[in-house]
Amino acid sequence: MGVARRFSAGETAEGSVRRGPGAAAAVRRALAYLILGLGMVVAIGPFLVTVLASVKTPIELVKGIFALPEVWRWGNYEQAWTTGHLGRFFVNSLIVAVGVVVPSLFLSAMSGYAFARFRFRGSAVLFGYLMLGLVVPLQAMVIPLFYLMRSFPFTGGNDWSGNGGFGLLNSHWALILPQVAMSVSFGTLMMRQAFLAIPREIVEASIVDGAGSWNILWRIMFPLTRPMVGTLALMFFIWTWNEFLLPLVVNIDPQYHTLPLGLLYFQAQWTAQVPIIAAGATIIFLPLTVVFLLFQRQLVRGITAGAVKG
Amino acid sequence: MQTTSPASSAGVIGEAGAAIAAPAGPARRGIAGSAWEPYLYLLPAALIFTLFVGVPVVGTVVFSLVHYNGIGALSSAEWAGIANYTDAFTDPKFWEAAWHNLILIPYYVVLPAVLGLIPAAMVQGMKLRGSAIFRVGLFLPYIMPGVLIGVVWRWLLNPVFGPVNDVLTRLGFDPPTWLGDFTWALPTVGVIGAWAAYGFCYVVFLAGMQKIPADLYEAARLDGASGWEEFRSVTIPGLRREIAVVVSVNLINALRAFDVIKATTDGGPGRQTEVVALYMINSAFGVNRVGYGAALAVLLAVITLVLSLLTLKLFGDGDD
Repeated sequence: MGVARRFSAGETAEGSVRRGPGAAAAVRRALAYLILGLGMVVAIGPFLVTVLASVKTPIELVKGIFALPEVWRWGNYEQAWTTGHLGRFFVNSLIVAVGVVVPSLFLSAMSGYAFARFRFRGSAVLFGYLMLGLVVPLQAMVIPLFYLMRSFPFTGGNDWSGNGGFGLLNSHWALILPQVAMSVSFGTLMMRQAFLAIPREIVEASIVDGAGSWNILWRIMFPLTRPMVGTLALMFFIWTWNEFLLPLVVNIDPQYHTLPLGLLYFQAQWTAQVPIIAAGATIIFLPLTVVFLLFQRQLVRGITAGAVKG
Repeated sequence: MQTTSPASSAGVIGEAGAAIAAPAGPARRGIAGSAWEPYLYLLPAALIFTLFVGVPVVGTVVFSLVHYNGIGALSSAEWAGIANYTDAFTDPKFWEAAWHNLILIPYYVVLPAVLGLIPAAMVQGMKLRGSAIFRVGLFLPYIMPGVLIGVVWRWLLNPVFGPVNDVLTRLGFDPPTWLGDFTWALPTVGVIGAWAAYGFCYVVFLAGMQKIPADLYEAARLDGASGWEEFRSVTIPGLRREIAVVVSVNLINALRAFDVIKATTDGGPGRQTEVVALYMINSAFGVNRVGYGAALAVLLAVITLVLSLLTLKLFGDGDD
């Protein structure tokens, strides 16, 4: 109740946009809270009941989804993690995420630097070419990617002509290489902009100091773009962590599955074992939520900016 | 300009705006150095981009012009001309899948936009305690992988042990089996898509509303405008670019829909929820008609591009 009183009395004076004194404003405010609260319950409720379901027995589950379990069944996680192989998928997801995020950042910084700080022939064309990655969806390249990976020379039992084996299929590379390639478009765009925003005096001063372009990039400019680098790292991480179509197509061997693909087969395997499936879902859901809560400001900004990228 | 248009709309909220709006021309401030230096900086990114984006994109077009069974060596592929495309246009399964994408559009585009706009308009101009919490909570489903969303909703909507039908039955309803029902499966998948996106729309709209100058509202009030008239004549026009972002992003998601559907219905029951992306993957890797799958991929990409450009043209014109 204290909440309601505080708001009805408080903010109307400075409420610059809305008309209506005291009472009407209080009603409006209460209504806003109601709608927002409802929207939030609908948005996160499904995840919360999933987490709750993951520590129950199947019988407890049927008794009511909001009821707390008698004994918290952490064993469900053990089963999902080891018997269901989600532990391996988790490690695969981590390997691929790191393998995509780190190189993507460095390549994007270098190419963004080239466009921001150099004048050179063909720069507009090359920039446009790289930006094609923003409009071409993965679906328009995933079929040839399978064959490109299968016939990659000198790998997976292949000879120089790409015949004889499975190439890079069933390896982390089949996920890492295309996702780095898809990330550098957005990365180049954002890093170019971040470099352009650095005051020219800073750059000129370092030129006068005789620093070479390589040192200017890594010692002076790159550290100054840290907020952007952080946002990009988060975006690349989420894209990679969530990617589903690519592993579905290029990873046949479950040994290399990442979490989303792993969860799909996991679901088919444990059909009626809802608590185990819920534990598996939580294993994907929880790390993402933690990352999101820690960096929500950068993430919301980055995602709304990069929303069009498939 | 086709490369920048869709992205430029997205950039209006974030930091990208300025960069994308600016032409990709040569930078004004150059560092002295050897003439080949910028090319060296570009080389790693351009190389990997060419190999794993450029080549596959061209590859899709090439594949779409051949018949290939997916099993033999690539050299066993036979030239098909435009046969795969003409096949697509006379294939009832393709039209059925395309129709399903079309039906998804109101669910993926209009529904979340409206559901995001209403709360955004309600809290506009208020200083609400905990507004950041609401923003985070509402946005959360949007960052979750489609498979996870599918798995969660498949359980919630399960006709035997799912909580949704449990509650509905206790309330005296006789609910359908949702994802397993021939009539309800597609709308259900659509509502799940709307559920995942409305928080995103809310955040975009709210950010846009904060940029509308307050004196526009004062002017409207002096003219004696009601709250609804204010909303219609000030808020909505002020949100034009945000609406363009939301509509084009949601539209792209409707046309590309894949993950959630794969995890919930896998196109079923029957083919009731089979969308183009699903049919494309099944054609290429399920029944080994690689060329045909590639043709569907090209069609899907072209349609998506054209429709999103149209959206931006429709909403985005005239600003700046």
